[in-house]
Amino acid sequence: MDILHYLSIGFSVALTPLNLGLVLAGCFIGTLIGSLPGIGPINGVAILLPLAYSVGLPPESALILLAGVYYGAEYGGRISSILLNVPGDAGAIMTTLDGYPMAKRGEAGRALALSAVSSFFGSIGALLLMVIFAPLLSKLAIQFGPSEYVWLMIFAFTCLATMVGKRPIKTVVGVVIGLLFATVGVDSGTGILRFTMDIPNLFDGVDFLVVVIGMFAISEVLVLLESWARNDLKLTPVGKSFVSFSDLMAVKWVVLRSTLSGFLIGVLPGTGASIASAVAYGTEKRFAEGHDDKFGEGDIRGLAAPEAANNAAAAGSMLPMLTLGIPGSGTTAILLGALLMFNITPGPLLFEQQPNIAWGLIASMFVGNIALLVLNLPMIGVFVRLLSIKQSYLVPVIVMLTFVGIYSIHGDSFDLFFMIVLGIFAFILRKLGFSLAPVILGLVLGEVLEENLRRALSISGGDWSILLNGTMTYILAVATVAALIAPKILKVLKK
Amino acid sequence: MLYDRIFAGALLVLSGLIAWTAFHFDVPFQYEPLGPKAFPIILSIMLAACCIWLIAKPDKNAWHPNKEVLTKIIIGLIIMVVYAALFEEAGFIIATTIVGAIFSWLFGEKPLKAFLYALALSVISYFLLADLMELNVPTGLLLGDL
Repeated sequence: MDILHYLSIGFSVALTPLNLGLVLAGCFIGTLIGSLPGIGPINGVAILLPLAYSVGLPPESALILLAGVYYGAEYGGRISSILLNVPGDAGAIMTTLDGYPMAKRGEAGRALALSAVSSFFGSIGALLLMVIFAPLLSKLAIQFGPSEYVWLMIFAFTCLATMVGKRPIKTVVGVVIGLLFATVGVDSGTGILRFTMDIPNLFDGVDFLVVVIGMFAISEVLVLLESWARNDLKLTPVGKSFVSFSDLMAVKWVVLRSTLSGFLIGVLPGTGASIASAVAYGTEKRFAEGHDDKFGEGDIRGLAAPEAANNAAAAGSMLPMLTLGIPGSGTTAILLGALLMFNITPGPLLFEQQPNIAWGLIASMFVGNIALLVLNLPMIGVFVRLLSIKQSYLVPVIVMLTFVGIYSIHGDSFDLFFMIVLGIFAFILRKLGFSLAPVILGLVLGEVLEENLRRALSISGGDWSILLNGTMTYILAVATVAALIAPKILKVLKK
Repeated sequence: MLYDRIFAGALLVLSGLIAWTAFHFDVPFQYEPLGPKAFPIILSIMLAACCIWLIAKPDKNAWHPNKEVLTKIIIGLIIMVVYAALFEEAGFIIATTIVGAIFSWLFGEKPLKAFLYALALSVISYFLLADLMELNVPTGLLLGDL
């Protein structure tokens, strides 16, 4: 079996002492970041990325660490959802609906344990699906030419626009801003400088890390400054943490369904954990109608569904990132950017040519999820105590890490000022209801999109009809149109 | 006046500038039909179209900061700029102590406690980051010869 062979390569990478330590560290940091309200997985990965880069970790180790933070945060997000009624990250919003009522009833321990187990099964289920589908998808993608890639990216942006946020037009604006950022610097085709405004620091292009940190971390500090109010959050006592067999049996089909739908939504480009958990919750609520339905009042099904789904989506969004080079979510866009910084281009060839990276990451996710289950069952008390870290202690650490991280890349203060400017810009975007993930997706994919478009037209000698040439381009074009009109049809059907 | 309109108007001007700049790129030689101009021009047209749409149909202002909040944000920004300016010149420990203390204070800590916390944070982090992780952390005025 090919898969077993590759998996054994993967585990031999994931189980080296360095990588094992990094998985554990990533999962621990991730759970912590996820559980602290305000700092989501995107910020966590963004803040750690320059540090991982500057410390000089090999690419697979850096990726293992950052991915650990990503899916660890999906576990951690539920802790503050359940105990404080404040979602730790966007994927955990639905968890508050039934998790917090359970905690108020004095069942916080039961809720935390059951949601940890649901998260675990969601992740492992999605990972198994990924092991099966990754080789298939990369085999399919290996035949993709430039036209197919152009369509794939247009499809990704369309999904993003129609499914994320209230105003599709604002998502499009975000994507275009990101794409324009990507055009800054030397043009690889002709060597001319574009939009550099004669600033030497921009000749190489806008540094991905500076944009990511500026837009996410710096704007987050501003948002925290704005929203901070002097109130001490009251933690609900956890009580005894346990998983009962009857609880597990009661939610087994819920977890299975939510894992499947979460994985699929995660794979779809642009749609991540927050949509997956909302869809899973809605579906289960409809399934449960008339069957002793206590959704919203502390129903364990309403707790298990979003947790299984958001973890499945986190794993699922890695699949298109690794096999196609198209990220499935904002956070995987940053992971993709991280790989590009290490001069590794994800895509179908990654699985063939660098199995240690692709399969090492997948294997490390199996290890990480087991570690997370341990972290989140017996050691849950540690995180609950960390939840009460005051922001007056936390914010200086965040600010310090962002500045050190950015400075350590080039050792140039220009990057620090540029980062602050981008932070202000991102803050304005957020306040006007634009989301930031589209900008990052545009930035990461901009160069690839332009390159493929130009390559396609070089092949055809300037004839745009090459974009609709071959079965796969038609399929992708139809999928794009479907993504464009599907939400409207669904709306009509609901009425 | 709606914020969306102001923002979209600014972006509209920007998209015009981008298109104009891209149109006037000096391309001495070019081997492919599309060249470096087309992609930015297409993008700027898309951006302009979106902005016109946003100007025509803006969202209601959802952001109503009061004076206190605005002052806090502006103070926060100023300290970050100060941090960026001091970072290399004064060095990591001094800059982090000053900036960390102000941030800690902004988030409700008492001045003395905020200062002590920031001092401890910067000294401990300096050795963690510079020595243990071997990152490029500016020493600045202090420890210049270490």
